[in-house]
Amino acid sequence: MTESAVQLLPLAIVVGMFALFIVSGLRTSSRQASEYGVAGGYTGRIGIGAAIASNWMSAASFLGLAGMFYLTGYYAMAFVVGWTGGYVLLLVLMATQIRRFGKYTAPDFVGFRYESEAARTLAALIAIGIAVIYGVAQFRGIALIVSWLFGIAYTPAVVVGAALVVGFVVVSGALGVARNQKLHYFVLITAFILPLMLMARKLGYFWILPQFGYGAAIRDLQQQFGFAWSEPFATVTPFRWLALCFTLMFGTAGLPHVLSRFYMAPSIRDARWGVVWGLFFIALIYWSAPAYGVLARLFEARGGIVPNSSDPMVADMAVLSAARYSGLPLWCIGLLAAGGMSAAFSTVAGMLLTGSASFSYDIYPRLIRPNASETDKVVAAKGFFLLLAVLVMTLALRPWGMIAEIAALAFALAGNTIFPAFLLGIWWGRANAAGVISGMLAGVAITFAPLLAGILPFLASLPPATSSAFIGAPLVILVMVAVSLLTPPPGDGIKLFLARNVHDTAEE
Amino acid sequence: MEESRTDREISFFRPRGTAMRGEVRVIWLVLAGWFAAIVGIQAGVYLLEINYSELLLEEMTFFNLPIHFWLTGQVLPLWFIVLCVLFNIWMDRHAARRLDGALRFRARSGREDE
Repeated sequence: MTESAVQLLPLAIVVGMFALFIVSGLRTSSRQASEYGVAGGYTGRIGIGAAIASNWMSAASFLGLAGMFYLTGYYAMAFVVGWTGGYVLLLVLMATQIRRFGKYTAPDFVGFRYESEAARTLAALIAIGIAVIYGVAQFRGIALIVSWLFGIAYTPAVVVGAALVVGFVVVSGALGVARNQKLHYFVLITAFILPLMLMARKLGYFWILPQFGYGAAIRDLQQQFGFAWSEPFATVTPFRWLALCFTLMFGTAGLPHVLSRFYMAPSIRDARWGVVWGLFFIALIYWSAPAYGVLARLFEARGGIVPNSSDPMVADMAVLSAARYSGLPLWCIGLLAAGGMSAAFSTVAGMLLTGSASFSYDIYPRLIRPNASETDKVVAAKGFFLLLAVLVMTLALRPWGMIAEIAALAFALAGNTIFPAFLLGIWWGRANAAGVISGMLAGVAITFAPLLAGILPFLASLPPATSSAFIGAPLVILVMVAVSLLTPPPGDGIKLFLARNVHDTAEE
Repeated sequence: MEESRTDREISFFRPRGTAMRGEVRVIWLVLAGWFAAIVGIQAGVYLLEINYSELLLEEMTFFNLPIHFWLTGQVLPLWFIVLCVLFNIWMDRHAARRLDGALRFRARSGREDE
């Protein structure tokens, strides 16, 4: 839906929203640095939940999910279930324990638990890989919105978007943009749900809770246009549905930037309850996203467009196109665009910074320059950030799928590598360095093997890469168990730490 | 000696100590509820679809939504929230009981969550 002219009003709203976050960031950063994490944006469990949800909401949630619904109907429900159900795994299996470990990043955790620099480096490389893949999904979302806002084609929009992201990180580093994550979340959720309510009202559907009102649109699409959008397993088998769903759940419990969130809460109890609030806030988005997909289809059908479009570009813009087709005022469409931009910007900035931090602290001083000073590490982090941005931009020029599909590949990689490493690291004292290294290498191979189906045809029978962790994560766990049992056990120190500090079994 | 050290190893399938055993038991229950709801609902939807027709699924509605959309898209995320709330309530009580025991008997100097 590229326009030929600059969309001035939506552009002004985008700029206004970022200005709001800058002012909020300046206010937050003017407080004492030590307050940040306790009072500066995370006050109370609801605040922690809003921070978790704000950190989670990306272009995949804001734009990509509706796009998947637009294109695949019920199949996209696997994303809803996967991206919410993963938080159950995270809460019951990991949240309490990883906080007790006291390690702030995934490579730190792996290096400490498995007492291995090689495992730590491998985890850092995987974290960078996840950041790059996830970043490509965000860049695609940013480029699509930039393309519409400035009236330019997709390719130049990727370059403009990349320049804006780098500028955003420079400004946010200096001014603390989006530091107040409560405000960030509530602005994003308003930008997402308010236009939906207005659209449902315009159509005469139940607009107070459009999350239920879109059922009437499904019925109208079926009865008036014969388009069976909601048919459950028309195009995929239940196995494929469950494979995607469980892959996303394992990935949610293995994404490095999600795991790091638990250290921001003042206590373990607050962290646990923060997860519940975070899940509720995330569910608000996911209860609403299907409505955008079906409304976009319905408006197209009513406008005389045959509802069989399978163009991924059109699908990824379903949120904006539904608002446009419904004749909502331009400020409302601008609000949606601003929300999508903001969600994608904050996520991609966080991912690229995490990736560059992994390089400068886990790889650079250990493998490249052993006697690097703190200044050297900062320089390395900045240089690697730019390198990552260029790499992500290049990959986003020719993305290999829709926003949600690209994000799902990052989840598959996390589910096949980091998730088993954390799971066994916490719950099985016998897991050792050889086991985790073999497991993570196997996980990388399992994730990317389906992508080689063009070269090796027998791989075509495997589930797609985006669904690989359903079988992959259990396989990696088996590899970790087998290799750990065949090699010497970890040291007594880490076993004692697990027993006393992580699981508190001191009474025996 | 080696055998006793192996016995003291942490394992999800062989939890040690009252606290860990209780925690693992509740984790099993939550995971069972989580898994059964996800797979059960999809199995039900699939059986309805193959035994009857997708049209039946369209006609069975709740709050305007086709039944499979309501169960999967609305109920499951809500069920996950309920499971998380139940788990947290249990963990809070569990922590309070342990704290109470530690204060009354002063049997150990283990640290507490909060």
